[in-house]
Amino acid sequence: MLFQDVQDAMRGERVLKKARYTVRLVAPPPELRRGCDLALEIDVVEQPGIERALKENDAAYIEIAPLKKESAELLDIVGVTDFGRWVMVKAANMKLTFDKESGVIVNISGGGCPDIPYLHAEMIDKQLKEAPRPRDAGFTLCARMLDRALEEALAIWEGGEKA
Amino acid sequence: MMLIAGTVPIADLPLTIGTVRAEGELLVVDGYRIPRTQGTGAMIGAALATTEYLKLESPQVLIAGDTGRGTGTQKIYQHLTQRIAKLAPRVLALHYCLPNMGLMRRLCEAIDRCPKRPVMIADAGSMYAAKAGRLAREFDIFTPDASELAFLSDRNATHPAYISRHLFNTDIAQTPKLVEEAHKNGGAPEIILAKGSTDYVIRDGEILATIAEPDVPELEAIGGTGDTITGLVAALAYAGLELQEAAIVAARTNRTAGKLAGVSPVSKVGEIIDQFNVVFKAFLQEWRGRREAG
Repeated sequence: MLFQDVQDAMRGERVLKKARYTVRLVAPPPELRRGCDLALEIDVVEQPGIERALKENDAAYIEIAPLKKESAELLDIVGVTDFGRWVMVKAANMKLTFDKESGVIVNISGGGCPDIPYLHAEMIDKQLKEAPRPRDAGFTLCARMLDRALEEALAIWEGGEKA
Repeated sequence: MMLIAGTVPIADLPLTIGTVRAEGELLVVDGYRIPRTQGTGAMIGAALATTEYLKLESPQVLIAGDTGRGTGTQKIYQHLTQRIAKLAPRVLALHYCLPNMGLMRRLCEAIDRCPKRPVMIADAGSMYAAKAGRLAREFDIFTPDASELAFLSDRNATHPAYISRHLFNTDIAQTPKLVEEAHKNGGAPEIILAKGSTDYVIRDGEILATIAEPDVPELEAIGGTGDTITGLVAALAYAGLELQEAAIVAARTNRTAGKLAGVSPVSKVGEIIDQFNVVFKAFLQEWRGRREAG
């Protein structure tokens, strides 16, 4: 996690440690270096929760950059399977299925992080527009992918509604 | 004993260890009730249904509440790391946890010190941690779905959210190639049960079996249907089946149970687990005989 200046980096560390994340102040690798010469090493799996904790505490940072350049981009493409009355939207390892007529989420499958069974319980049987957003209620990359699937499901549902 | 370890989505559930029993739709461990739904609950439910049918000792489970922050994950891994030698399970199945390479590495080191190595099974976040930490060869079997297999095959990915674009939506026929890549990259244990429209059981690159029937595409949409396969593998391995046979029987059982339950994308995983007894009664002997005859 890269910062504009040292104060921001130290404030970021304080906020995240208080929120009980395991983070470490490090020197940024030269190829990633932007801003100051302090960076925070975080576990990228926890990226969504970490970003939210910083936002809630008005702690500024430049960006989060994975150490391996080849894996720097989050997967953004989705797949769609039509089951007749239901549509399944897949984003990376997450799948969300909803009823085409009512827009109600009928199932969520896939994933491996501990917020997914929690989000499964919270989102099933809720209308797409009323379900809690995984980006707000989850903490992990699995939750972020589930949010991507929900986003696409909403677009499909709203497109269908308009038609 | 068989030990299943994983988090459950009940924030305040303390670290709990004990023998599991069923109570209607719920599972009971040391007085705590957990749902038999997507995640560790579905896996435990499947393993319990199998041990009950085979009249084996019920699974021991190690669970803790975790809704994504990793607190339960830490408790589980620390407990296992400190006590795995004393617990001495014959089968150890690790499931939903926050992927943490450091915790996984310490657990694997502790397992190396066990007098007898358990059969090691990982799925979900535990599989992610093992792959990302280059510890896949410490395990005997992984049970990935298609996107997770793409993750295992992608040398640089530390989570399925970071797999290369070209690996997403890879055709199921490419499964052996992805497994080969995963082996080359150190991202695969000896055996992989790749779950998909066709299930593949592959040992060190060699396809041992493909299972495509019955074809029940709706299973993919139902939360927990991958978890039940892992639970079946664990219990069947505990029953003494060789791992590859356990994987084949697990894949067949899950599909057949889905068909018997007449599932749709609305179905719940408990409806499938409830059919295991019927499936075992009708087919287990035949499936095992087929192997012995072969």
